[in-house]
Amino acid sequence: MNSRAHTGRGLAWALVGPTLALLIAFNIFPLVYNVVSSFTNAELIGGAWRSVGGANYARVFEDELFAGALRRTALFVVCAVAVELTLGFALALTLQRDFKGKQVVLTTLLVPMMLSPAVMGLYWNLVLNGNYGVVNQGLSALGFDPPQWLTDRDYKFWSILLIDVWMWTPFMMLIALAGLNSIPASIYEAAQIDRASRWKVFTRITLPMSAPVLGLAVLFRATDALKQFDLVMAVTGPNDAATQTLSTLLYQVVFRDGSVGLGAAFSCVILVLVIALATVFTRYIDRVQSRDVSA
Amino acid sequence: MKSILWSVCALFALGLAACSGENPNQSGAPAASASKPSIKIWWFQWDPATGLQELGREFESETGIAVEVQQIPLASYQEKVFLEFGGSRTSFDIVIGDSQWIGRGASSGLYVELTDWLPTVVDLATIHPRAAKYLCEYPEGSGRWYAAPCETDAVGLAYRKDWFEDPAERSAFQARFGRELTVPATYEEFRQVAEFFQRPDAKRYGCAMPSDRNYDGLTMGVQNLLWAFGGKWKDEASNKVVGHLDTQGTVDAIEFFKTLMKLGPNGCERLDYGQVLESFTNGSTAMILNYFAFFPGIQAQFGDKVGFAVVPSHEGRRVASLGGQGLSVSAKIPPEQQEHAKRFIAWFLQRRVQERWITKPAGFTANSAILASPEFRAKTPYNAPFADSVDAMRDFWNVPAFNKLLAVTQRYVGMAVDGEMPTAEALKKLALEKERILKEEGLL
Repeated sequence: MNSRAHTGRGLAWALVGPTLALLIAFNIFPLVYNVVSSFTNAELIGGAWRSVGGANYARVFEDELFAGALRRTALFVVCAVAVELTLGFALALTLQRDFKGKQVVLTTLLVPMMLSPAVMGLYWNLVLNGNYGVVNQGLSALGFDPPQWLTDRDYKFWSILLIDVWMWTPFMMLIALAGLNSIPASIYEAAQIDRASRWKVFTRITLPMSAPVLGLAVLFRATDALKQFDLVMAVTGPNDAATQTLSTLLYQVVFRDGSVGLGAAFSCVILVLVIALATVFTRYIDRVQSRDVSA
Repeated sequence: MKSILWSVCALFALGLAACSGENPNQSGAPAASASKPSIKIWWFQWDPATGLQELGREFESETGIAVEVQQIPLASYQEKVFLEFGGSRTSFDIVIGDSQWIGRGASSGLYVELTDWLPTVVDLATIHPRAAKYLCEYPEGSGRWYAAPCETDAVGLAYRKDWFEDPAERSAFQARFGRELTVPATYEEFRQVAEFFQRPDAKRYGCAMPSDRNYDGLTMGVQNLLWAFGGKWKDEASNKVVGHLDTQGTVDAIEFFKTLMKLGPNGCERLDYGQVLESFTNGSTAMILNYFAFFPGIQAQFGDKVGFAVVPSHEGRRVASLGGQGLSVSAKIPPEQQEHAKRFIAWFLQRRVQERWITKPAGFTANSAILASPEFRAKTPYNAPFADSVDAMRDFWNVPAFNKLLAVTQRYVGMAVDGEMPTAEALKKLALEKERILKEEGLL
């Protein structure tokens, strides 16, 4: 019996051990290292570090750049997720029914999501270019005075948002479609027998029953939008006051300025924010799911 | 059960062995490379790097030491170089670093000091004093050398000579401004000519200059005007910024720069060096301010349709942003590699090699005698203005914290140029921010 238990424990370690080792090497150790670095004046090019206490954290909370990047990132997350959710859900409702050519439409709509954000950033750089971009060429041909999408301070942030919406609306659509398809047809049939209006069906059946899945989609997209990096780098670079997000600020501080200690403090604060946000979302999803189970 | 356990363990052990096992071919590689000495040079991707590689082959045939010039895209060059320096050994032996990096390279022990060695292989008097001061010495003018000049460069003016000489354009200009259409000698004239040629409906534009926010484009574009208008980045003696940067001269320079941004192609307020060049080579822009290293390509494309000149002046002050880079030996390579690297530098600085260097695409020298020689000045249309520009060139900060100073400069000057913040306010904030950085770094 003892020997069997011993063997079982050995097997458990053998199975879990490699994963645990990788987790420690690639997650736990860098995290601890980052926290330690955040209390030092470490520089990218090496040299002796010394402790600076909480000075880096004081800088983070005093820094106008951080406040600006935080505001901009929050605005980006809210706008991007809201627009993508609305458009994605609307598209899913449209595509829920069967029609001729549905697969072709679905596949075409999914293409932007499958492309690399960095490549898409470069591609949209060409599309929205003020001189030779196809959008401005078209607007000029129609007699409009075309705006400078990527250089005008009033437009560049919204241009990046537009590209993000173009890329990720299909993702929202896909998840929403899965949610809609999981609603049993019998519920709709019962509603039909009860002569429920289309609006009632939508607000009492479709929306509440797809809410948990939509919540999950919002969680995925919000955490993804929160670390928006590739598009900003490709379109305006990391040091543009009008478009700098938390991730690009972090890149600027660590890789351009070489301030590893300060960058580590920035990243710790961002990590806390992300964990807080993720906790709110997961609690919401848990609540919705437990409500469903009890119902 | 036991057999499963053994299978898992065996697989894991196999995986570990695969990860840690040495490739016999790899372990044999150092032996192969040890038989043939070689050096690796890092530079960013542009024509002069290709020219240097060609010279490297000549060096190899003379000395038996192979030279490989690796070209890194400019946008990521700085990060890649300093990430390399973060390790215990760099994969390059020589780095052709931006002039602004020298403070960081020297004070952090990344570059080998060449002060005692360099005079033994070259007469330092042959190196143009401005190139020595900004490209090679740290602190500036201290006589402590950490680099040898490789590419010497400055911002100059390229213009469409055929447009300037067109009789119809000349008479239209005369009628509108009451003077002859000439190559602009002052910034007022430059703006006037740009205004004259600005015809967006005909896809013809007045002027373009570096204004990109990604690395240093905007700073290099603005500082030509900044110094000419009497502004400055700092007090030269004390490094103080407040009260020196946030002055009327700097405000005037940026305000003037903003007016020029309205006289260029769409989106001209954020053009990198390549895009400035492109705005000219696509035949749409009358004048550009850009580095001389780009001008040979323009000359090859347009022939005698283009002309070149020094940057304009303002109230008698003419200053050109310094470009160019020096050859620095990495301190993080073995001594024998440092010796090979020094041997290449000594070879490269010889007059006969410098005379070969200036025949390479966009190869510009810091050799004073060559710059002053009538043959050099007459050889191409851009050589004489280049030689004159070397006498007028100045550089941005080159202290160890230059990258932080550059980042805040790009940001605040960018906000002023974009109208996100009034220029005077942006400069006040920039001055305070720079002093904070300088104090943190112990430079103030």
